[in-house]
Amino acid sequence: MEFRAEVASSVGWPLFVRGSYNPLIPALSYALILKTAGRIYALDLGKDHHNPQCDYVGEKHKHRWTEQFRDKEAYVPENITADAADPVGVWRQFCTEAGITHLGTLRPPPPVQQELF
Amino acid sequence: MSAPSICEELRQGLGALFVCSEHGQYQRIRTPYLYPDGDVIDLFCKADNDVLTITDLGETTRWLRMQTISPKRSVRQRALIEDVCLTHGVEFYKGMLLARCRPGEPLASVVLRVVQAALRVSDLWFTFRTRAVESVADEVADFLTERQLPFDRDEKLAGRSGRAWTVDFHVRPPSRSSLVCILSTGSRYAARRIAEHVLALWYDLNHLAAGPEALQFVSLFDDTMDVWSPEDFRLLEDLSTIARWSQPETLIETLTAA
Repeated sequence: MEFRAEVASSVGWPLFVRGSYNPLIPALSYALILKTAGRIYALDLGKDHHNPQCDYVGEKHKHRWTEQFRDKEAYVPENITADAADPVGVWRQFCTEAGITHLGTLRPPPPVQQELF
Repeated sequence: MSAPSICEELRQGLGALFVCSEHGQYQRIRTPYLYPDGDVIDLFCKADNDVLTITDLGETTRWLRMQTISPKRSVRQRALIEDVCLTHGVEFYKGMLLARCRPGEPLASVVLRVVQAALRVSDLWFTFRTRAVESVADEVADFLTERQLPFDRDEKLAGRSGRAWTVDFHVRPPSRSSLVCILSTGSRYAARRIAEHVLALWYDLNHLAAGPEALQFVSLFDDTMDVWSPEDFRLLEDLSTIARWSQPETLIETLTAA
């Protein structure tokens, strides 16, 4: 389950936010994508991350773009406390941390109804 | 370290790099392999009678999609994924990479086949033109290829003023050739400037729109982003045919019309 939305900013950056949820794991990602540069800020829940410094960050991590490592370095965002199985709760916390105001409503995903394979 | 002891140490150490754990209805295999951004590749196993299915549960293509604003996989990406699956004997089903481990078959080799496929599919990220987002021009190229419309890309043409202009596509279907300029931006601030640039381009190239082999000028707006105003369309409608990327079938009709 996925969505994509444009993010309006006062200086007019071509910014988009993309959300993606895999309920089978569960794994959840929200990412801010700058059209001209790619992913600049992203929250991942449900899979581990290995930093260029060779440390493992854990299954809750956030990528932030830096000159040195681009989007390869991640850290543990302490203010994200909702669980990967709660995409709406995580979305609210992600928006708060990223300074995004969401004027609409993100509804919970429907339950998985069938075997995938 | 002598050769036999190197092999022995590898034999003992490699297995420990794969960590298995119960994960709901699956067994999760945490592999030592990484997606291009450093995220760890996990695989999942599920038993059905005596056949074990090893899969990434769609995480690889989900990872790939999260790197781009393109709403769907391009034809080129799908072809590359199919090629990867063929190489590694892996099935691509509902966005998942899958392989069966049948009785008597070594599980380790099946796991390595699937994880290798996951690595290669995620490496398609490196083929994105900006290494981050696939451009609309790439999507249009894939679409024209899919529809078997021959084209030349990024053609440089001399304007009447003497200035050289780059046109995104020179499309040559049987009936009539067209020059296509793509107008794409994520910024409303840049939209008018781009429209004015394309207007100047069509004006300076308008000698190519005359004669028995007159070229049709097409201004293709990437309207998947709401940045264009009615004035931008009006600016170009006198000198070119307006097409919208949200309506690709209409673009084909425009290009193939006699």
